Amino acid sequence: MSIAFWEVSKAFGPKQVLENVSFDVETGQILFILGKSGAGKSVILKHIVGVMKPDKGAIIVDGQNVTRSDADGLADIRRRCGMVFQHPALLDSLTVYQNVSFGLRTPQFARTLKRPMTEAEMRVRVIEKLALVHLDADVLDRLPQELSYGMQKRVSLARTIAPEPRYLLFDEPTTGLDPITTRAVNDLISELSRKLKVTSIVVSHDMASALEVANRILVLDQAKVLAWGTIDEVKRCDEPLVRDFLSETLGLSLAEAR
Amino acid sequence: MIGALGGFFHGFLGEFGRYCLFTAEVARTIRRTRGNLKPILDQISQVSLRSLPTVAFAGVFVGAILVLQFYDMLRQYDAQIFLGGLNTSAVVREVGPLIISFLLAGKIGAYSAAELGTMRVTEQIDAIECLGTNPIQYLIVPRFIGIVISSMLLLVLGLMISVLGSMVVAEFACGLNFLQYLSTVPRFTSVGTLGAGLLKSGVYGLIVASVSCFYGYTATGGARGVGRAVTLAAIYTNLYILAANFAMSSILDNLGKLLP
Repeated sequence: MSIAFWEVSKAFGPKQVLENVSFDVETGQILFILGKSGAGKSVILKHIVGVMKPDKGAIIVDGQNVTRSDADGLADIRRRCGMVFQHPALLDSLTVYQNVSFGLRTPQFARTLKRPMTEAEMRVRVIEKLALVHLDADVLDRLPQELSYGMQKRVSLARTIAPEPRYLLFDEPTTGLDPITTRAVNDLISELSRKLKVTSIVVSHDMASALEVANRILVLDQAKVLAWGTIDEVKRCDEPLVRDFLSETLGLSLAEAR
Repeated sequence: MIGALGGFFHGFLGEFGRYCLFTAEVARTIRRTRGNLKPILDQISQVSLRSLPTVAFAGVFVGAILVLQFYDMLRQYDAQIFLGGLNTSAVVREVGPLIISFLLAGKIGAYSAAELGTMRVTEQIDAIECLGTNPIQYLIVPRFIGIVISSMLLLVLGLMISVLGSMVVAEFACGLNFLQYLSTVPRFTSVGTLGAGLLKSGVYGLIVASVSCFYGYTATGGARGVGRAVTLAAIYTNLYILAANFAMSSILDNLGKLLP
């Protein structure tokens, strides 16, 4: 059970965003993808769920080739992968309860459960997931625009984990959050990995979170993989960008970091 | 100059091709979808209620303007008695569907393009897809069907309001009473005329729905991209409606001549 990228390339017009990118992540691991803005980090996540198609290469999820999957195959992959977007991406016209329970109403989820979930079961599940992201049940009937940005991001996270996916893909999950909620999100990622063997891929700028939570780190720059490996392996990497990320985080000068 | 013109047509044809593919995908999704009437009925009520005051306002004035124009011409031939028939026929066949579709393009088309464009650039559409729901089925199909049905309903309502407005203007400005006005309506306005008007309204509604949904759904690049989507939706909806009007008027006129 794993996610693997095999020599994936993608260009938007003349701009190459991924070039021969290869990596894999095993069950229960937490992979942090780091890099500067526009390095192609979010594009990797969108390829895994089939929202984008690569120009070249293959993406394998649990042995299933995403690029060659039909609509049903993609729906099946999406059922196993939950994605937390950079923006909260909550549906404006739906309440918090309707947003969080959105994925529980799909035919794919009913197939997994072998029956449609009842409204009472959904309510229990929604409240339970909101509690995991430090939100009370009194937000259930509120509309997204009535919540702060940080609360919207937490609702978005609750919506993603509500169907209990096997893989979690986070696109900058802690951007715009206060330090306490950032810590809670990092703890949640670790906990889901440890207890439920959920595999997580986290796109981030935050090396501190990566060093705290990740099993593996991948650093992207100008569409290519600069570094990939365990924390110790990445710490030993000589690439200047990787050294910059490390020195910023560890509060060391570049020379000390070397 | 020739290069720039060639570039424009190349760009336009590419865009038109993507629009056709999008519309075909929506049609396929409608065929595959088992009927969930609630979102469609919601759309019909939203579109109709939101547009009704504008359509009513336009209906009264369009009818009144045509009455005054026709009356001037008919008076020269002492044929004022035909005012009701001519006016109603013109509203049902041409002016009504066209005006209503332009109003829908400005109001509902722009609203849909802006709403869908915002959902696209804030990743709401990606989120729907990732949560295992087909966004075309969830967002586009109800809008499509809702706008088409609403535009036909609005034509009928707009027509009734327009006829009433015309009758009042004919009474006070032209000295033609209600009975005189209505007496020639059946002579010029048959069931076929009403059918042609409804068909045109349906087709224009389809254009409003498909063009606005296409530009909104494919918007990119933040707030600026949403603005661009709304502008393009407004321009192309009106252009496609005018082209469709020409094509349909020619076809329906020729068809009318062939029928006994």
